[in-house]
Amino acid sequence: MAEVKTAKFKKASSQAVSDPKLQNTLEHVMGHFIEARAGAIEEFGDESWDQMRERASSIKKHALENLDYYLDLIDRTIQKNGGHVHFAKDTQEANRIVLDIAKKAEAKRVIKSKSMVSEEMGLNKALEKAGIEPVETDLGEYIIQLADEPPFHIIAPAMHKTKQEVSELFQDWLRTAPTQDIKQLCIIARDALREKFSTADIGVSGANFVVAETGTVVLVTNEGNGRMTTSTPKIHIAVSGIEKVLPAIEDVGLFLRLLPRSATGQRITSYNTFVSGPKFSTDEDGPEEFHLIMVDNGRLNLMRDPEFREALKCIRCGACLNTCPIYRKVGGHSYGWVYPGPIGAVITPVLTNIKQSKDLPYASTLCGACRDVCPVKIDIPKLLLKLRHMAVEGDSSQRSVSWIERLMIGQWRKTVSTRSSIERATNLARFLQVVVTKKGIIRNLPLPLISGWTKSRDFPALAPKSFAQLWQEKFSEETDG
Amino acid sequence: MVEKETKTDKSDFLQLVREAIGRKTPLLYAPDYPPLKSNYTRQQEKVRTITAKNLARKSKILDQLIENASFAGWNVHRVSDHESAAEKIGEIAASVKAKLAVRTTETILKSVNVDGALRSKKVTPVVLASGRYRSKSDLKEVAFKADLGISGVSFAIAETASCVLIPRKGVARLTSLAPPVFVAIVQADQVLENLDDYFAMVRLQFQKTRGRYPNYTNFVSGPSRTADIEQTLTIGVHGPGIVHMVLVG
Repeated sequence: MAEVKTAKFKKASSQAVSDPKLQNTLEHVMGHFIEARAGAIEEFGDESWDQMRERASSIKKHALENLDYYLDLIDRTIQKNGGHVHFAKDTQEANRIVLDIAKKAEAKRVIKSKSMVSEEMGLNKALEKAGIEPVETDLGEYIIQLADEPPFHIIAPAMHKTKQEVSELFQDWLRTAPTQDIKQLCIIARDALREKFSTADIGVSGANFVVAETGTVVLVTNEGNGRMTTSTPKIHIAVSGIEKVLPAIEDVGLFLRLLPRSATGQRITSYNTFVSGPKFSTDEDGPEEFHLIMVDNGRLNLMRDPEFREALKCIRCGACLNTCPIYRKVGGHSYGWVYPGPIGAVITPVLTNIKQSKDLPYASTLCGACRDVCPVKIDIPKLLLKLRHMAVEGDSSQRSVSWIERLMIGQWRKTVSTRSSIERATNLARFLQVVVTKKGIIRNLPLPLISGWTKSRDFPALAPKSFAQLWQEKFSEETDG
Repeated sequence: MVEKETKTDKSDFLQLVREAIGRKTPLLYAPDYPPLKSNYTRQQEKVRTITAKNLARKSKILDQLIENASFAGWNVHRVSDHESAAEKIGEIAASVKAKLAVRTTETILKSVNVDGALRSKKVTPVVLASGRYRSKSDLKEVAFKADLGISGVSFAIAETASCVLIPRKGVARLTSLAPPVFVAIVQADQVLENLDDYFAMVRLQFQKTRGRYPNYTNFVSGPSRTADIEQTLTIGVHGPGIVHMVLVG
């Protein structure tokens, strides 16, 4: 599995926030995404867009509640179509299936079109270890592969790279001349990858949807690399999370309306590819072998809980990232694994390690913007609150709040539950604060936990008299007069 | 060997899924899901209604296709007959200074004399078909070398300005993908109003041809594009950056 660095969220995010270049890029790009989405859904009007989301949400709900049936149907249908379906419990198993196919075919080079599940798997590393060259062919993925970085965004993996940086990467890896012309950079990548397309043995793709009825993997792409990956090599392997299932082929239209609009603000992407099996013997070109690998990797942990199950409806459009005030500041790498942003903060802890990812559920203002843009209506804030609840009240595998914090909060609860104890406590605080107050402001509170809070914020000192006291005095003056 | 492991794993895997859902045993019947319920006769009826609707709205749908296609980056050319279609394609080839063009062999390409039009502009036409080459890599080589790809379509969808391409004998995948310029020949009676019309037809086709249903389909809905560098829209990455739709009728 791809390395999990969620424990470093605080450090990584504060670095991101203090990186002016990154902040500039984030502001520029995110604004663009939000405008594009708003423009693209305008034609429907709020009410009918909302109905579409509602319908999509209930289709996904049905698919998840009957997932065993639909997975079985996918297997049977694809077999009938001449392909193979594999089920993998974890990323290790998924990698092994890919490597077995590659070994049997004596493959030397694998071309890949964008797949987030293969990022979960750390497939590139596994292939390299086996002496097979993996080549990412989505332009953004290609750039971050050269830079040896994880994706920054679900649909725009290299959005944090400037054209200058891309040019430098190409100079280093492809020995090309420096250029600031983006069109030229695209041509460089096109030429470099053409060579790979014509010689690769295996193409690995993801799956935006897997239709159970017809056994069809649906790919939503813009560049054409998804088509290349499913056309030029002799073997095509699609990897998909088990939650990507749509029951019927007639469900696809709705999702093709929702996904590109929510993601890039397009009415439709340049290409949609529908793969249900290998080429027919009479076809002129195309892979002779087709494999679909359905990967669990922790998804059943989400499934088991009726509330978390909702997160499996996600179609990976990235709209919640774009709209999130936290993502727009801390960027994609801070979240420490494959899926950033609000949906990442929900699924990453459950798919990897809840305790290690303890900061992710707090990477949210709970403003609800993510819920409002979600094309399948996932109530992300509710799920983040649930994770916060687990951090405090959960069992030993979930609880991340320290005993001292629990003790303090427990004490706090006792203190604020009666008026007399509040008054006693504030009187005591008013007496003690003299030591740390300067000009009515507390700049540093040398107490456990709270000292961190005052490091970057000032705390207003308690006023000499409380509101209740002032009221009483005023009231008694008036009655006196 | 891989095959064997898959078979043994499957029932265990499905049992795990079932337990996570909160069920102990497999469903006895298919889940109650209306889009999966309608049988062949009912689907046939549905498609008949769609066809009638599209026929009645034909001119409106064609206008919609032209408008949406232009918006999506297609160069749309509406022509009235096969001769002017061929002429148009010759012009397009000349305008991009093509030397080598690859094409498919759908029925429409028997009516539209593309080869003649290309030759008159000193462009060499080649049918991209595996029989003509010794191996698959030769086919790729020719496709990658070609300056222009020409193909008919199976359907066009007005809502999304999509050309639906289904590869088969005489229709290579790379024709519409590898060359930097692509020309799609769309006949007016192939145009559907929206995605739902199309998927209803796919379903009927699937019910009809179970087992021999096309395993591969592509929507081409504009030029190849990317915004992966600085969110700047750039056309023509891996696929054709210039796309023409010649609409006949």
